[in-house]
Amino acid sequence: MNGSATAGEWAVDLTDVAKTYRGGVEALRGVSVRVRRGEVFGLLGPNGAGKSTLVKILMTVIRPTRATGTFLGLPVGHKPTLARVGYLPEHHRFPDYLTGRQVIDFYGALAGTPRRERKARASELLDTVGMTAWADKRVKGYSKGMRQRVGIAQALVNDPELVVLDEPTDGVDPVGRRDIRAIMTRMRDAGKTVLVNSHLLSELEMVSDRVSIMVQGKVAAEGTIDDLTLDKKQYELELVEEHAERARSHLLAALDGAGRLPDVNERPAGSGILHATLRSGEAVELHARTLRVRTTDAAVMQPMIDALRSRGATVASLRLIRPSLEDLFMAAVTDPTTGAAFAPGAAMKRKEPRP
Amino acid sequence: MTQTFAMLVDAYRELNSRKLFWVSLGLSVLVVLAFGALGVSETGFSILWWDFRHRFINTNLLPPEFFYKFLFFSFGIKFWLAWLASILALISTAGIIPDFVSGGSVELSLSKPIGRLRLFLTKYATGLLFATLQVAVFSLAAFILIGVRGKSWEPGLFLAVPIVVCFFSYLYALCALVGLVTRSTIAALLTTLLFWFLLFAVNVTDGLFVQQRERAVLQRESLVGRIERAERGTGAQLEKTERDRLLAAGETPPEADPSAPRPAAELDAANPILAMYRTRLVEAEKDSKTWAYWARVIMIAKTVLPKTAETVQLLERRLISGEEMDRFVRAVDDRPSRIGEDDDVPIDNREVQRRAVAALKTRPIWWVLGTSLAFEALVLGIASWIFCRRDF
Repeated sequence: MNGSATAGEWAVDLTDVAKTYRGGVEALRGVSVRVRRGEVFGLLGPNGAGKSTLVKILMTVIRPTRATGTFLGLPVGHKPTLARVGYLPEHHRFPDYLTGRQVIDFYGALAGTPRRERKARASELLDTVGMTAWADKRVKGYSKGMRQRVGIAQALVNDPELVVLDEPTDGVDPVGRRDIRAIMTRMRDAGKTVLVNSHLLSELEMVSDRVSIMVQGKVAAEGTIDDLTLDKKQYELELVEEHAERARSHLLAALDGAGRLPDVNERPAGSGILHATLRSGEAVELHARTLRVRTTDAAVMQPMIDALRSRGATVASLRLIRPSLEDLFMAAVTDPTTGAAFAPGAAMKRKEPRP
Repeated sequence: MTQTFAMLVDAYRELNSRKLFWVSLGLSVLVVLAFGALGVSETGFSILWWDFRHRFINTNLLPPEFFYKFLFFSFGIKFWLAWLASILALISTAGIIPDFVSGGSVELSLSKPIGRLRLFLTKYATGLLFATLQVAVFSLAAFILIGVRGKSWEPGLFLAVPIVVCFFSYLYALCALVGLVTRSTIAALLTTLLFWFLLFAVNVTDGLFVQQRERAVLQRESLVGRIERAERGTGAQLEKTERDRLLAAGETPPEADPSAPRPAAELDAANPILAMYRTRLVEAEKDSKTWAYWARVIMIAKTVLPKTAETVQLLERRLISGEEMDRFVRAVDDRPSRIGEDDDVPIDNREVQRRAVAALKTRPIWWVLGTSLAFEALVLGIASWIFCRRDF
């Protein structure tokens, strides 16, 4: 998290948000999130992590058990603030008897947008989302992707300062996804804030300035993708070798050349990946023909290359790589003690033992 | 204002999309046209161009304006709007709240800068729009018809709009509450219809108990009168017999003292029917107390429930005067009215009816509307509280 922004620069500034549903389901367990004005912020997490609950608390659809902080500078739950916000809920359902244009007009009116402004913006937005030809047809004849496009348009009809999109590309074809990404980018360029909640990590990676990864009702990681991956960058060395056994032998020799610690720290993973540590402290992963060394120091790699050359092995590539958002996500949702992914769903409140 | 207007326009669009709304409206127009096909003349009545001679239905006994007003209230309001059209309205509108609070729909509305209470109450009001439009169209058509055919321009007909909407709102409040809690249209509709049936049963029981109470009171009054008359007659007979006996014996009979009545035992011994009347009087007094008790019990039950039938009856009170109705009743039923003709103490059935109707009509308007609206406010209050507190 970049803490240098002043209080007025935060579109969303939440501290210690908790929500426990009846029955003891703890959807949120003290979440703190900050979204800067004018950025695209991605909210990630597995099913039941509490992303939609957090968004619904912001939109006053759900009442928090506990929440402090501000939303566009005013306390969370302040209804008039919502006139400055656009929202596309997940699995939304528009009244079947309305046309696309009427949907945009109706929700714009509910947001308090004056009639003339609504009319003008509806046509403009229908054009933006590529729905002009279907504008006056009833929603019940729309495909899922078309409904999603109209949903995006209605979220923007009040020219919001902040738009909250819950799974905006759900059911949308690749062209539509590109259009939606373009809309988000345009909004950011216009100084608006976009809070987007999506399972499509590659989509988020392309547009998000910062992300927050939620797991079981808590924020597991938050920051820019660069911040989050800074200490996770690594060198990847790949061999050209047809026989896997020979390749492995070359790579083990390369590790020995770089000073591999004795077997105490080595642990083979289920997929045949060998984890090891160098004397200089760097963690190493040995795959079939690939070696990954957790370092950004090129000097660490030199002894390995020397060792490989001395054995006549051919190096296909050596590059400094950054983990993908998916890698970050998987790391965040994996229990470090067991190496397995956390069970999906929210946490259950522990019952206090009776005295 | 923009938001409320948008919700009302949306409600109209929603109704417009429901075929049942137009079916119901079409049927309303048909009912009014059916009234238009009926006519009344000096000799009888007519349907379209066919004339029928009738002893009671003619302008000599029934003025045309009364004829049409009576048709409007008895069939148009009581039968069509307060029964059939209301059932159609409930079927059409029962889904409004469950659809509104279903997943994927309510989030969009709740995320707008509108208070939850306002949102819910506006949505509830849009449900009443159905009934309002139906009654308004029906009343307007009936107003024109009665004006043209009966030569009586009666603006009081438009009172049907608030009264029928008020009646419908009692039921729709419960429908909204059940729809909100269960999110099921079927559950909301069935519960409301069941509740309406309960109200109907309570109302019928109330009418029955009041009638029985009035019958017992009338019987007691009748018996008291009969006993007084029989006592006077028997006393006079005994007096005459005593007087004749003394005169025959050459004695002068004493002056009769009206302040010193004869003992009941002596009278009963002289006239056995008096003893029977007294026994019946004790029974009638007991009956009177029993029915008065049960009428009170049902009255208390009715006080906490909405009074659908009585609310609709308010229109009759306003449109048709008691005098007009009495004249009509006398005209159509001039036969002597008796019940228990095989009984020793016959009762005038028409008088029982008249007293029961009068007793029901003495219930004040504030009681009919006030307690019903209090029930509606309570149900709506609970529904609003749930809506405002619920996580969607």
